[in-house]
Amino acid sequence: MAHPVSPRPRRPGDLALGFAGALACAITLVVLGWILWDLVKLGLPHLSWSFLTGEVSGGGRSGGIGPVLVSTVMILAFALVFAIPPGVGCAVWLSEMVRQGSRPARVITGAVDLLASVPSIVFGLFGMSFFCQVLGLGFSILSGGLTLACMILPLLVRTTLSALQSLPADLRPAAAALGLTGTTTIAKILLPAALPGILVGITLGVGRALAETAALIFTSGYATRWPDSPADSGRALSVHIYDLAMNIPNGSAAASASALVLLVLIFLINAAVATLAARWQRRHLST
Amino acid sequence: MTPTSSRSTPSGCGCGGLSLSGVAVRYRAFTAVRDVNLEIPDCGITALVGPSGCGKSSLLHAMNRLTDLIPGCRVEGSVRDGAGTELTDPVLDVLALRRRIGMVFQKPNPFPHSIRRNFEIPLREHGLPRALIAEKTEQSLREVGLWEEVSSRLDESAMKLSGGQQQRLCIARALALDPEVILFDEPCSALDPMAAAVVEEHIAALRGRVTVVIVTHNLAQARRIADRVGVFWIRNGAGTIVEEGAVEEVFESAGDADARRYLAGVWG
Repeated sequence: MAHPVSPRPRRPGDLALGFAGALACAITLVVLGWILWDLVKLGLPHLSWSFLTGEVSGGGRSGGIGPVLVSTVMILAFALVFAIPPGVGCAVWLSEMVRQGSRPARVITGAVDLLASVPSIVFGLFGMSFFCQVLGLGFSILSGGLTLACMILPLLVRTTLSALQSLPADLRPAAAALGLTGTTTIAKILLPAALPGILVGITLGVGRALAETAALIFTSGYATRWPDSPADSGRALSVHIYDLAMNIPNGSAAASASALVLLVLIFLINAAVATLAARWQRRHLST
Repeated sequence: MTPTSSRSTPSGCGCGGLSLSGVAVRYRAFTAVRDVNLEIPDCGITALVGPSGCGKSSLLHAMNRLTDLIPGCRVEGSVRDGAGTELTDPVLDVLALRRRIGMVFQKPNPFPHSIRRNFEIPLREHGLPRALIAEKTEQSLREVGLWEEVSSRLDESAMKLSGGQQQRLCIARALALDPEVILFDEPCSALDPMAAAVVEEHIAALRGRVTVVIVTHNLAQARRIADRVGVFWIRNGAGTIVEEGAVEEVFESAGDADARRYLAGVWG
């Protein structure tokens, strides 16, 4: 953020730096604008209500993305349902139940960071061999959701942990001095206060999960029919885009339209979470 | 307020005082406090004064076992309540103890939730029926003169209150549990003078209602509100009480040379 009273750059070096900064910002804007323009130009004519709700036909060239959208939302829902409880639980344990810097804390934090750095294709291979084969779930929406849950787990742990650690330290003695149990302190005081931070983690997790292709091809598969249950194979939107762009001749218009839908979906989820967090913050935390 | 007005030793109201003998507080190899013997009278106000780093806060934290939260901290000796129960007993229910012996900290620490939730959470925890919570909240806020100021915005964040209001909220929150003792750890030192005066007034008003132990660096404050005062000093590398008694006696004629000079303002 610019300091309000900082003098305007006047010397040549300052001018050059200012120019370079402006250029860098311009490049960022151009990249974003280019992506959006490209998608809108190619995809918008293809978009319609029947595209959003219709069945996939001709490998995606014609028809719509109805079943794909449903599968995507189901995979995402499973990923969140399976990732949030252990993610938040692990962060609570690290932040509130073990001493900072102790050996178990260091080992778990290290493991979480290691997990965060694993490439998604590796999660895909793991998901295929463990969820699909060992647990016998096959190519299914459930397998895909579980695989994504593993992938976003470290993200949730990290963001929840930093949200908890950034709370005022004196809340814990305040709670203890009122004779509150650790459970009450965590459930009724710390977690609600950390909720905005946890929601940021969930937003990031949603973004990563919706963007994921590699981990899903091997686990939830690419069936384009309407899913009847979580045990069915279902194609995620990102997998659909990949298929249209790489394997289907003349699929690029449908690919752009699908990508536009994906962007709007992510934007809507982000906006919803941000609104929720802002409302919560205004009501409970503003100073 | 003149220092001596309306200050007779309060008759016991049944809250129960505290009786400390041979208390030491150690952090691993470091001894913060040693050989403290102190009678804290029932329903009176006892001030603990002395230079920083003398272990006043450590002793205060030992009285409701907040020392248990500090890794490596040990309390030795005996702390007994009015009924003679040994409070340092490792099998004692510390949550029940802290309901009976509350604490107000130097920095106001309301929970970052609504004013109402600040009362609801501890009152529910200690089993007050839901129907009685609103009444108890109002009663406690009235005791610290905060009700008129906040009654229309109980659902707003407690963090929106000023520092002095937050501190009074913390006092009200401690009072809501009907404690026998409230420990104050420099409750006014993070506040501006006006807010500090209001908070001090409400602490003084607790005489006869609960037993108060207050750590303060403000000697004038100790003299204004306390019945008894204990002066801390470092002896043999650890803090201990070198002078203790009724407030006027100690301020007028302390026997200990260090305490006498400290109270006279020669140091500090």
